[in-house]
Amino acid sequence: MNHAAAGAASIVLEGRITAYTAGPVWQAALDTLANNPDRPVVVDASRVEYIDDVGIALLFDLVRQERPQGAKVEVHDLEPRFAALVGAYDPKDFVQPPKVRRHIGIFEHMGRATAQQLAYGEAMLVFLEDCAAAAWSTFRGRGTARWSEVLDIATEAGANAVPIVLLIGFLMGVIIAFEIGLVAQQFGAVIFVVNGVGVAMLRELGPLMTAIVFAGRTGAAFAAQIGTQKVNEEVNAITTFGLSPVQFLVLPRLIAATLMVPLLAVLADVVGIFGGALVMVGFGVSFVQFYNQLLGAVTLTDFVLGVVKAAVYGLAIAAIGCERGLATGAGATSVGLSTTSAVVTSIVMIVVIDGIFTIFTS
Amino acid sequence: MDVATPLTNRSGPGTNGAAPAISVRHLKMGYGKRVLLDDASFDVQRSEIMVILGGSGCGKSSLMKNIIGLYRPMVGDISIGGVSIVTTSSEERAKLQRSLGVMYQSGALFGSLNVLENVRFPLDQFTTLPLAHKNLTARMLLHQVEMAYAESLMPGELSGGMLKRAGIARAMALGCDILLLDEPSAGLDPITAANLDRTILTLRQSLGFTFVVVTHELQSIFNISDRAIMLDPVSRSIIAEGKPADLRDHSTDPRVRQFFNREPDKAAKTTGG
Repeated sequence: MNHAAAGAASIVLEGRITAYTAGPVWQAALDTLANNPDRPVVVDASRVEYIDDVGIALLFDLVRQERPQGAKVEVHDLEPRFAALVGAYDPKDFVQPPKVRRHIGIFEHMGRATAQQLAYGEAMLVFLEDCAAAAWSTFRGRGTARWSEVLDIATEAGANAVPIVLLIGFLMGVIIAFEIGLVAQQFGAVIFVVNGVGVAMLRELGPLMTAIVFAGRTGAAFAAQIGTQKVNEEVNAITTFGLSPVQFLVLPRLIAATLMVPLLAVLADVVGIFGGALVMVGFGVSFVQFYNQLLGAVTLTDFVLGVVKAAVYGLAIAAIGCERGLATGAGATSVGLSTTSAVVTSIVMIVVIDGIFTIFTS
Repeated sequence: MDVATPLTNRSGPGTNGAAPAISVRHLKMGYGKRVLLDDASFDVQRSEIMVILGGSGCGKSSLMKNIIGLYRPMVGDISIGGVSIVTTSSEERAKLQRSLGVMYQSGALFGSLNVLENVRFPLDQFTTLPLAHKNLTARMLLHQVEMAYAESLMPGELSGGMLKRAGIARAMALGCDILLLDEPSAGLDPITAANLDRTILTLRQSLGFTFVVVTHELQSIFNISDRAIMLDPVSRSIIAEGKPADLRDHSTDPRVRQFFNREPDKAAKTTGG
């Protein structure tokens, strides 16, 4: 400890004080102030070669400390160019601590989540009303449907999704046939596995798995595309041209999705049943036997029900994806949140819709 | 008590203090087969404020990204403090990049962090300072760019000008003495733009920072720059280099005079009776 003046403690700073080196210096200087609460402290800066923003913050932190009269901190011999920077700040501007993000409790979290879901439900109803109005307007010839856009979206969302849907559908058929076949074999009821595969694929698994793939692949893409357009103010541009974003952006996607998901589901049905037939050969059921048993097991109603379900799934996924996209806030983070929300909500809604269908058609 | 500090290299890791801050030699750059600039050479001296000028699409921002080492030149070399950022190892390039403070056109703030956390981010990553010290430094930097009132806002809540100012504060956080600013004044109101010019001049005068500024703002160019280079998209070259006032008053190149005098292109001649 140096005593620069009578009764004064001294801190000598030297060399270069930068972001990389200031840490220990800063702490040692504050320790000196703490150890000398009632004495004046002189900071000797005559040997400072260079300070950067962190060094300036260090010096400012020392001189702004609240200390008793007669125990103030003074900086001596700091180059005027640095002193001007330190003197440019008013300690009063830094009295308030920075706001930290408040961690919310579980009840507040639940309350907020409930309010958010209610607001989301309300927004969804308004959105669906807008969609219905836009569709009605187009149907009556008052609005323009962008059919080329519908074709492009259908190609991307439908045709380009065929390989993944075929793969998933085929594997689903194989898995169900194998799992049920192993159990049925013990009871000598292998032939009835065909009934299970046929009904399960047509009524449930074909549309359901197609919808889940569609939600992950296309629902997310709809939310991200429209969300990015919202962030880039393209949606505002559409509105200021006097166009309806729902008519312009949403309707083509709704039409394309409602048409494409049933077609994809039919493909999934066909390859799923084919996969089941392949497995059944291993259980001693020939293709002919499989075919004959299948004709007796499934009805046209099963097939139509699956197709209708798929169309409703497609409509729901597209509506949720587009609504989430239009509800995107600002910035890249919001687009990510919208996309995640679109996929999660779509999958939940697929299961809910499936449940409703099951109740009303059983 | 003698609170001594270890010495560090002022120009950042691995650089040579005697060399120009930035040295560009025979640079050819572009995208794919499209060449934006061919055989360009210039130096930026320490504590100099150099402005890169040129019409839209002439490659000003691309030149900046070549200097930073984000893009690799087709031909030529770029040195930071005497160390080539083109031929050096990736580790050394990362060190050189850390010695550069960069503000991108859009501010490039991280969307998941608030403004204060964005400015504090380099300090969090590369220093061992306690949180309180990092917060104070970050708040002082925000104060410098007149953004103190917005420290708790998220980037999505900021205007374009606010994003830029916060981006400048973040670029300065590690005390990098070479700052590259891509259109810092664009979108700012005249008073804020003038204050930003003053901040740049103060930082140069007080801390000896070197600035490379890409800008179109004529007022700002005359206020802050020691020297300017002007790029031309047609000849793909630097068509002028010098003090902005000299270029405006004495350049014999009509393209340079047109730029500084803010003259429109000559209208197409109309014929008729």
